[in-house]
Amino acid sequence: MSAPKVGNLLSSKLDAELTPLLTVSAVSKAFGGLQALSDISLQVHAGEIFGLIGPNGAGKTTLFNALTGLYSIDRGEIRLNDARLDGRPPHQVLQAGLARTFQNIRLFAEMTALENVLVGRHARTTSGVVGAVLRLPGTRREEADSHERAHALLRRVGIAQHADRLAKNLPYGDQRRLEIARALATEPSLLALDEPAAGMNKVERAALRELLLQLQADGLTLLLIEHDVKLVMGLCTRLAVLDYGVKIAEGTPDVVSRDPKVIAAYLGDEAI
Amino acid sequence: MSSVLSLNKTQPHWLVFGLLALGLALLPFLVDAGLGRSWVRLLDLALLYVMLALGLNIVVGYAGLLDLGYVAFYALGAYVYAWLASPHFGLHLPFWAILPLGAGLAGLFGVLLGTPTLRLRGDYLAIVTLGFGEIVRIFMNNLNTPVNLTNGPQGINLIDPVRLGGVSLSQPHTLFGFTFSGVHLTYYLFLLLTLAVIFISMRLENSRIGRAWVAIREDEIAAAATGINTRNLKLLAFAMGATFGGLAGGLFASFQGFISPESFNLMESIMILCMIVLGGMGHIPGVIFGALLLTLLPEALRYTGDWQRNLFGQIYVDPADLRMLLFGLALVAVMLYRPAGLIPSARRRQEFADAKG
Repeated sequence: MSAPKVGNLLSSKLDAELTPLLTVSAVSKAFGGLQALSDISLQVHAGEIFGLIGPNGAGKTTLFNALTGLYSIDRGEIRLNDARLDGRPPHQVLQAGLARTFQNIRLFAEMTALENVLVGRHARTTSGVVGAVLRLPGTRREEADSHERAHALLRRVGIAQHADRLAKNLPYGDQRRLEIARALATEPSLLALDEPAAGMNKVERAALRELLLQLQADGLTLLLIEHDVKLVMGLCTRLAVLDYGVKIAEGTPDVVSRDPKVIAAYLGDEAI
Repeated sequence: MSSVLSLNKTQPHWLVFGLLALGLALLPFLVDAGLGRSWVRLLDLALLYVMLALGLNIVVGYAGLLDLGYVAFYALGAYVYAWLASPHFGLHLPFWAILPLGAGLAGLFGVLLGTPTLRLRGDYLAIVTLGFGEIVRIFMNNLNTPVNLTNGPQGINLIDPVRLGGVSLSQPHTLFGFTFSGVHLTYYLFLLLTLAVIFISMRLENSRIGRAWVAIREDEIAAAATGINTRNLKLLAFAMGATFGGLAGGLFASFQGFISPESFNLMESIMILCMIVLGGMGHIPGVIFGALLLTLLPEALRYTGDWQRNLFGQIYVDPADLRMLLFGLALVAVMLYRPAGLIPSARRRQEFADAKG
């Protein structure tokens, strides 16, 4: 009785690892004469933590912005499951299941932490002006549900005590956590994090790492830009390395860290 | 001072509501007895401005879209009323039919004028909306040829007063042994509609829609990346604000009995904006207070003319000039000492407390 269950679990886990969730095919983007992304292709599989690394100006954030609809792309195709994401506005990309955080934290500064997370519920709720003004039963239920979920998310990322404080007055590390909670409120299937550990101290980094692993354990797929090599190597199942808008390597952290092109990109050609 | 703040509102006691309702019901009689009939009229006008300011507050205070042409929707509501209830076209449609029509049409124009400005922000948006406001006024000024739509600068006269269920608000009526004059009855009508506008504003503020507006104001890119359809919600803000503007316009036309393009100039837009800024942007009690203050205070300052004559035997400073001078000083003082407005919202108060502490 228990043996097939284990077998099922294993095979479903293997299946999950092989299911491409995000497929980026030959994406290019130029700003004037600057080729920011050239023919980038990569696949992020369901359930993994996929790292995106590279020197400053390599095009990591540009790729994030292209994925999330903030930039239009010149060529190529972006798919989440079977849905085309390219050419769609940001709110539709999010609706399809791709949420993100920003490198330079972009919270709604003058809203409370709770309200920030409630805004994250916007895409998954429907009540409009009439419902709000008349406070119809459906709207009331939806609001109660949103509040409950928002509180739960604040607890989950560990900042429940800040629920009624303005986002701008939260400590730096907690602002990063709040941004993650807001993104989670949109019920994404893929969460893209742009340098979530930037500016964090050692303790905050360890806590963040713990949180990301928990999210992965709960079935969320993560796409991560990060400069902290130690964090990336310990956390990511696979990595892609960008340099001058070109993907120069992809694979497990072990393989990537030994790749001569990667070493050259990070340390300069003379180092080899 | 604790920086943790609860935004939960405590429920006011029903007694407070009761006293407030009684006070508002008796107010025109007290004002009439104490200050005279003209002040009741002014009270009516102040209520109109409360509606206008609350409408603009949705656009500027919540969604953060600096709209300097708001008066265009006020004008539109007023002209729609004038066209459908005056000898100008010989139409005399009932009040209850025209008012929603004017408000709805203004809302539609809010969307029409909002659409081309969607990509603009801050200063640029302000300049374009300012242009729209002026375009509407100039149209009204010149649309007397080839077809006489607006009667040009002369304006439209003899607009029907409000008539509800056979009761005309231009004549006194006796009820339960009390005699209500026209301005008193108008006060109750305007009060009712103002309360409705306040109610709608409050409900919207604490809703999914209201939060989305504030999110757009705070960071439009983050709002879009958090799943908010910024285009639709900005248009909704324009439409809601314009609807309230159109409503106030229709009431204004019926109240005055006469409208001309002169009533809808840029200064009017700026005054309404000042009411919001002075009172407390995005905060309903602040906006109401700002609107009342800026409508009533200038009238109060007219008395300074009498004082000057009594004190010095002649008038040194024309009350009208003094009005603008004090008004300017008050604005500067508010910006210096209470930059969040006279009655700021709880979150803004906290922000300034945190900045100090």
